[in-house]
Amino acid sequence: MGIQRVRPDFVATNVITGDDRTDRVVLEANTDHNTPRVAQLQKVVFVNDVTPEQALDAVCDQDGVLDIVTEVSPADAQRVESSQYAKLVTIEANRVLLGIFNTYPDRPLADRRVREAFNLAVDRDRIVDEALAGYARPLGALTPPWSGGGSGAEPRARDAAAAKALLDEAGWSEGRAVTIATPAPFEGIAAMIAADVQDALGIGAEVIVVGDDEIVPGSLTLIEKKLTPPWDILIHAWFDLSSDLPPAVMHREFFGDDGAFRAGPPDAEFNRRFGALVKMTSAEEAQTAAGEIDRYCYDESKALFLCAPNALYAVNREVEFTAYKTTFELAEAQVSAQHWSRRNGG
Amino acid sequence: MSATDTATPATTTAVAPVGTINVFDPHPLNWLFITWNTMEEPIRTDPDGYIVMALAESAQWRDELTLEVKVREGARFQDGVACTAHSIKQNFDEVQRWAAPHPPGTYLNFHPEAECVVEDELTCVFKLPEPDGLILGKFRGFHIASPAFWREYGFGYQRIGTGEGHW
Repeated sequence: MGIQRVRPDFVATNVITGDDRTDRVVLEANTDHNTPRVAQLQKVVFVNDVTPEQALDAVCDQDGVLDIVTEVSPADAQRVESSQYAKLVTIEANRVLLGIFNTYPDRPLADRRVREAFNLAVDRDRIVDEALAGYARPLGALTPPWSGGGSGAEPRARDAAAAKALLDEAGWSEGRAVTIATPAPFEGIAAMIAADVQDALGIGAEVIVVGDDEIVPGSLTLIEKKLTPPWDILIHAWFDLSSDLPPAVMHREFFGDDGAFRAGPPDAEFNRRFGALVKMTSAEEAQTAAGEIDRYCYDESKALFLCAPNALYAVNREVEFTAYKTTFELAEAQVSAQHWSRRNGG
Repeated sequence: MSATDTATPATTTAVAPVGTINVFDPHPLNWLFITWNTMEEPIRTDPDGYIVMALAESAQWRDELTLEVKVREGARFQDGVACTAHSIKQNFDEVQRWAAPHPPGTYLNFHPEAECVVEDELTCVFKLPEPDGLILGKFRGFHIASPAFWREYGFGYQRIGTGEGHW
């Protein structure tokens, strides 16, 4: 658990340090459930003793082994689409991929002009097209266009000249390289960002891949805020479990007073706006305030805003599955009469 | 604000479920997805991610400090026990004992001085010391368990005296 603050209020964020699963978790339908959301399947078996690679092989190349594989990489989408047994189900999900800026006072990204310069330097369309095979939506700020409380902030188009002018105006220490930390799955995206930065801003960019054994200590450093993180930008993915009011989760988590992923001093203006939002019991007023918060984050270039990645599923062709923007829901899932579990009258 | 205009599930007769599927889900929130596929909360979200009523039939602000929740008539737990306003209160009181009841963070906590008061079998009101415009969203993580769950498991209280760190 990362303890951010104890007085005056206890504030904490839990950190996942391990994931010990049993080999199988079996869900059986509750036939006594009395709403239309009653399960359509008799049984769902979560299979936990295979690797992601084995799972993809099983759903694509075999019948009757795995029926749904979640978190399919865009790099594997084509394989799923050309499979004899599986189909690809995608949805624009409430997920974001961005670069957290280290905005502590001794860091260059504490200056708004520098943050905007980085946002103008990066070609997010190319990242979406080439690194994510098109399975993502470029974002201007944090609220995707399908969610409530949007600001309408359009993704910044790459403008190398404007980016360089802003950086020159703000100043950048000669010979200083920007450090971009990233978990291994986003190394390619970090490299694209580094290349864009070097090309547009004329400064060095170093990509640091965070090892598996460094993820938990690094997360605690970020969450607890007792130490200044060693990087300038951290490539980070996150999610929202509702579409109603993104600032309640997303904006607060990255920029708020109790935000686990805030990498800098508290932002009094953000806190003032968010403090007003949480006291609004009128949905209409809250939507307006949420949009203004998203716009504020855009104007202040509070992060290196990149995109909202899709959620991709490999699904057996005899399974009807409804993807949700937020969660993994199985109540509506059904199988056809040709499905392996029913072919023998099951 | 009224949440009564969101879809309310109607009582219906279940169709016999058929078939089995095998799933591989490496998502770090798999534990939560399983929870949401096996328990109910006052609200849930539709496929687009917007809040709809679930165990609650409605949620209505009486004033800025008082939220009235009507429980869906006829709701019952897997063991057949009726889910009523008393169930909501029991689960609220249990959650309020924890310093950190939600893995994502304490931002999902209800105010420590909030109260849940049962007015009748299907009506409870949340009395808050200050307005909480995010409370409906917090209801998404407010899993309602049967009395048997709290009696026999209770996230660690029965076994080790605390729920902290056990979900």
